[in-house]
Amino acid sequence: MIRAGALEKGMAILIKGDPFVVVEREFVKPGKGSAFVRAKLKNPTSGQVLRETMKTQDQVEEILVEDKDSQYLYADDTSYHFMNLDTYEQFEIPAKTFPEYRELMKEGDTYTLILWEDRPLDIKLPFKIVYTVTKAEDAIKGDTVTGATKTVEVETGLKVKVPIFIKEGERIMVNTETKEYVERVNQ
Amino acid sequence: MNFTQMHSRSRIINGIRNFFHDRNYLEVDTPLLTPALIPEAPIEIFETVFTSDEYGSFPLYLIPSPEVHMKKLIASGSGNIFQITRSFRNSEQLGPHHNPEFSMLEWYTMEADYHTSIATTEDLIQSLAGPDTPAHMRPPFRKITVQEAFLDYAGFDLAETQDRPALVQAARKLGLSIQSTDDTWEQIYHRIFLNYVEPNLPRDQPLVLTDFPRQITCLAKELPGTPWRERWELYINGIELANCYSEETDSTKIEAFFRREYALKAAESRVVPDIDEEFIDIHRSGFPTCSGVALGVDRLIMAMSGQASIEGVIFFPLSDTIRP
Repeated sequence: MIRAGALEKGMAILIKGDPFVVVEREFVKPGKGSAFVRAKLKNPTSGQVLRETMKTQDQVEEILVEDKDSQYLYADDTSYHFMNLDTYEQFEIPAKTFPEYRELMKEGDTYTLILWEDRPLDIKLPFKIVYTVTKAEDAIKGDTVTGATKTVEVETGLKVKVPIFIKEGERIMVNTETKEYVERVNQ
Repeated sequence: MNFTQMHSRSRIINGIRNFFHDRNYLEVDTPLLTPALIPEAPIEIFETVFTSDEYGSFPLYLIPSPEVHMKKLIASGSGNIFQITRSFRNSEQLGPHHNPEFSMLEWYTMEADYHTSIATTEDLIQSLAGPDTPAHMRPPFRKITVQEAFLDYAGFDLAETQDRPALVQAARKLGLSIQSTDDTWEQIYHRIFLNYVEPNLPRDQPLVLTDFPRQITCLAKELPGTPWRERWELYINGIELANCYSEETDSTKIEAFFRREYALKAAESRVVPDIDEEFIDIHRSGFPTCSGVALGVDRLIMAMSGQASIEGVIFFPLSDTIRP
């Protein structure tokens, strides 16, 4: 058991026998009251989302999970297809469990899966990923306003707001959490 | 550094000053360091030490709000007063809505109650609004009582769940999955509020949530014949921006509140400042009827300029120096 105050994003806990991954966690303090932890929890198998507010000193049951690096092959309408890098065995994860990862994972890249009793609970993405810009409109001539942005598309289909100087074919680094542009990558 | 943003910050602060000067409030400037405070169990305090060859060493505390000094001015006959001051709160999560030091606007209006203060706050926000102010920031304010909000978003009547077993039952019905047996009424109330009510409050216009439960003890007057207190909080875009009371003037109630909060604070808090006994005394000889509002200036500027975080409207947020 651990204190609810020690919960962190990405941790897994057991509620009434079912595993839940902490998707969001924030400390909240009402105007006149002590500190609480407000968490958004997701059951990866059923997709069920729970919102829980706990006192920071409440006890929750943490579960032990295993990290496994796996190669992301491709996605179809319903699943993400992965390959176990030790056994070369292929397996799939229902896409509806992690819909937001579809536009973030790059085919052929290796990601860390979080497993609990061989069930995938989460896919751990790097904090920043480099993508190639596949669609970008040219900047309008004379538009030199500092901080002007435009929207481009990268190879995964993700749309990102970038500075106007970014061109098609260039590589950009994106924060996977906020899906925001970080910098241009020169290579 | 976004200096364009800081120009609008500067304009808003100037606008606040003009608003209160125009209404003949006295602008005051009270200490940030103090040897004693109003005990408020949930607020963690910054402590420092005064050292001197002549007087020895003793602790001083950074104010979590200017209330303690402003009420002493009121007791001395100041009339309507306001100030924009730095306030300090320890142990809060750094980020979009919190910095350990922040700018607070606090004002007190004599012969007024919490309803009067809603109108003043509406006028204030209206006077600060410009052509770029988002629609959800503009008055009029929507007014909802806490009781109505619980009926709408938690599906039960808070007036009928004033005892702990009834509230526990309501919480179970809602399905708070992690149960803890030692929660007080207030803690269960807050868990329901934070989980089911606050996230669902309408955000299309400023919202004043009024008449908080009496069981959440504070220095707001009780609303006679009800389980509520004369208190409201202003939410803009889901973020708590201001807190207001019809101020308690009964010294017996204030003293009882002080003793109870101090005991709680002594049990729970890292830093336990001395009680300001003079604060109780000033209420023994006819403290003026008044209403006070405390408003987070950084959050106001954030909301007025459509920013998502106070980090964009203050210089050198502490989170910048701590984050990797």
